[in-house]
Amino acid sequence: MKIFMVPFFASVLFCPSYSSKWITHTACKDDKLEVLYQSCDPLQDFGFSVDHCYNPLSKNLKIRFGTILRYDIKELFLDVDLFIMKKSLYSFSYPVCEVDFPKFSFCGRKKGEKIYYAGDINNPAFPIGKGEYHILLRLYNENNFTIVCANFTVISY
Amino acid sequence: MAFVMASFMCSLLLASLLTPQCVRATSAAQMCTEVVANLTYNCENLGLEEIPESLPATTKFLEFGFNFLPDLQSSTFSRLRDLVYLDLTRCEINWVHEDAFENNDDLSTIVLTGNPLIFMADTAFQGPKALKHLTLTQTGMTSVTFIPMQNLENLETLHLGSNHLSSIQLPSTFSARNLKVLDFELNAIHHITKEDVASLKRATNLSLNLKGNNIQDIEDGAFHSTAFQSLNFGGISDVSTVLKGLQNSITQTLWLGSFHDVDDLDVSPDMLEGLCNTSVEALNIQSRYFSNSVAIFQCFTGLQELDLTETHWNSLPSGIEGMNQLKKLVLNQNAFDDLCQINAASFPNLTHLYVKGNTHKLDFGAGCLGKLENLLHLDLSHSKVVSDTCCNTQLRNLSHLQHLNLSNNEPQTLQGQAFGECPQLEVLDFSFTHLHTDASPSPFQNLHLLQVLNLSNCLVETSNPQLLVGLQGLQHLDLSGNPFQSGILTKDNLLHPVDSIQVLILSSCSLTALEQQAFGSLGKLKYLDLQHNSLTGSGLAALSNLNKTHLNLAANSIHTIPPSLLPVFSQQSIINLSHNPLDCTCSNIHFLTWYKENLHKISDPEETTCGDPPALRGVKLSNVTLSCATSAVGIVFLVLFLLTVIITSIVLGRRYIIRKYENI
Repeated sequence: MKIFMVPFFASVLFCPSYSSKWITHTACKDDKLEVLYQSCDPLQDFGFSVDHCYNPLSKNLKIRFGTILRYDIKELFLDVDLFIMKKSLYSFSYPVCEVDFPKFSFCGRKKGEKIYYAGDINNPAFPIGKGEYHILLRLYNENNFTIVCANFTVISY
Repeated sequence: MAFVMASFMCSLLLASLLTPQCVRATSAAQMCTEVVANLTYNCENLGLEEIPESLPATTKFLEFGFNFLPDLQSSTFSRLRDLVYLDLTRCEINWVHEDAFENNDDLSTIVLTGNPLIFMADTAFQGPKALKHLTLTQTGMTSVTFIPMQNLENLETLHLGSNHLSSIQLPSTFSARNLKVLDFELNAIHHITKEDVASLKRATNLSLNLKGNNIQDIEDGAFHSTAFQSLNFGGISDVSTVLKGLQNSITQTLWLGSFHDVDDLDVSPDMLEGLCNTSVEALNIQSRYFSNSVAIFQCFTGLQELDLTETHWNSLPSGIEGMNQLKKLVLNQNAFDDLCQINAASFPNLTHLYVKGNTHKLDFGAGCLGKLENLLHLDLSHSKVVSDTCCNTQLRNLSHLQHLNLSNNEPQTLQGQAFGECPQLEVLDFSFTHLHTDASPSPFQNLHLLQVLNLSNCLVETSNPQLLVGLQGLQHLDLSGNPFQSGILTKDNLLHPVDSIQVLILSSCSLTALEQQAFGSLGKLKYLDLQHNSLTGSGLAALSNLNKTHLNLAANSIHTIPPSLLPVFSQQSIINLSHNPLDCTCSNIHFLTWYKENLHKISDPEETTCGDPPALRGVKLSNVTLSCATSAVGIVFLVLFLLTVIITSIVLGRRYIIRKYENI
């Protein structure tokens, strides 16, 4: 058995960056609501938190977010897909940075820069019904290169 | 016991899953991506600790970001003598030692973004004959004196964003003669003095970026009689600080916009007073709130371009005066209900008007832009534009209009000669706006100068052969996403009137077949896009009319290509057959042979794979070698075989007869 374990440990030890999944983090947690996330970008993890986890979600949530840019973000787009029981329920696309309309102060930052954002996300208030929801979120730039890929799990008790 | 067994099997499985991945990963570490052979290489994210031996000495452009090079020495890049562009983003560089680039004579760009630099030696940048672009973004710099100034006299761009700099003053040892771009984005610059600006005067036509610096004061007269190509003070809380500081300066483009994540003061007319004493050609003031008053515009009278994107207007005040110079007005992302609410008469000399992404339903109105006789370019896309029958009353008097964008709007009904008011139109974009053409079969009549027409996803009547009548100058036509009834492009289709067309896009049109002569009159066609249809090999008869065309047949249902089509393929310039279920059996051998002989014509060969037989599914066509007896050889063998049989039987027969009658 030891013989068989050797390649396993060797592969885990020597190729840590090639493990297929990043650990699951907690963005916020409360008696009624829990938000978990995991990076689905094979290159890197990112940091994210929500200032509180009330249900119903309040308007203009404050978030904190940190990552390293692997590409320039002259233009940045957000795709969001919401799933319940593996069925797609809702999806939308939102331009975050455009050349003629950089909405946020981080628009236009360069490859290699560390980004830290603490502020509002301009969301409307909405209640979350009991259950488990999965949200796939992808931020990508003008060349369709992934800037952030995230799998969110929202559990409402 | 069962548990131990299970965990053993589990780890075995994991080991077998992970080990090959790891092997691939380590071999990948040696492998930079070759973008252009012997010239351009990408070695990003490979965890490299040195320049790989495998890189040719002729490499000119090297992307080496996200590796590990704690100190740069003269030996680090000495082998790559031809380097022109070197990107060392986030390589954990601490030290740039003496003569780090001494052997790189041709180096013109060095990117050092995101490296925790501790020290750069005085001669760090010596060597390159003309270093033009230096990026030191987010390197932890607290003073510009950190940058060694030797050999920077040719510098054209210097990026110093996201550091801890508190002054824009350049050292007196820095000859900024050729400097065109100086970027201080997101630093800690709070004060600007006369002395600071004086240090920039050696540069002419400079673009200075001070976005995201919380500037609290600018010394009076600091910018007196200085000239800039562009100045960016994006996100500044109080615009009057900047405008007072810019007295008697000359700037082509002044960016004073704000952002969603920045708290700023509402702009009142007196905060803009300083603008009256500065010379600015183009002003951007996006995402700010104004008190809705005519007075806001009193110091805008010298402007040629004004960008009021997302400035929360429901209507622009009437009675704005003196805006005769304004050529370009951007009113994107505002909240007008009616196009007349922009009071276009206040801007009589506009050539370019943008009302994109309006947040309310925008009534196209009647003649709202009638006073804009010089208007050349009008963009009303994504604005939920609604209208009665379009577009003559709406576009009244716009006789010089060349470019009209009405894409992504509410459904429109086009009348007969819908663009009679703008006969000079060259580009017309209606994509993703549902068009009804019941009122007239030929709405585009009289647009003789129209070169580009985008009707993608407009759900137009594709069965109407009159639809495109009058467009004899049309060069580019996009009809993607408009389904063709019955799936057949017939020989008397709507394309016949547009015979000067060079680019034709018919992707996602639910086409199953193209009838012979369907493209009969399109002799000038250079690019034909038929992607994402359901065309089969037998439905491509119409292509025989095309010559030297770039043919895109990706993502169709093409299985076999009839041999009669191969000469037709041979006379085209480029062919894309990717994502088709191509047959890789002997029944398609003629095509497979042709494919290998014409690989230079094939676009996207990586995705051109077999769909059949199952054993070859997913295999690249260029890798398939079939040994099918060709029919000619088969016939020769068959004839030889028959001849042998006949001759043998004759010989045997003779012997038999001879033997039989021998005894007589």
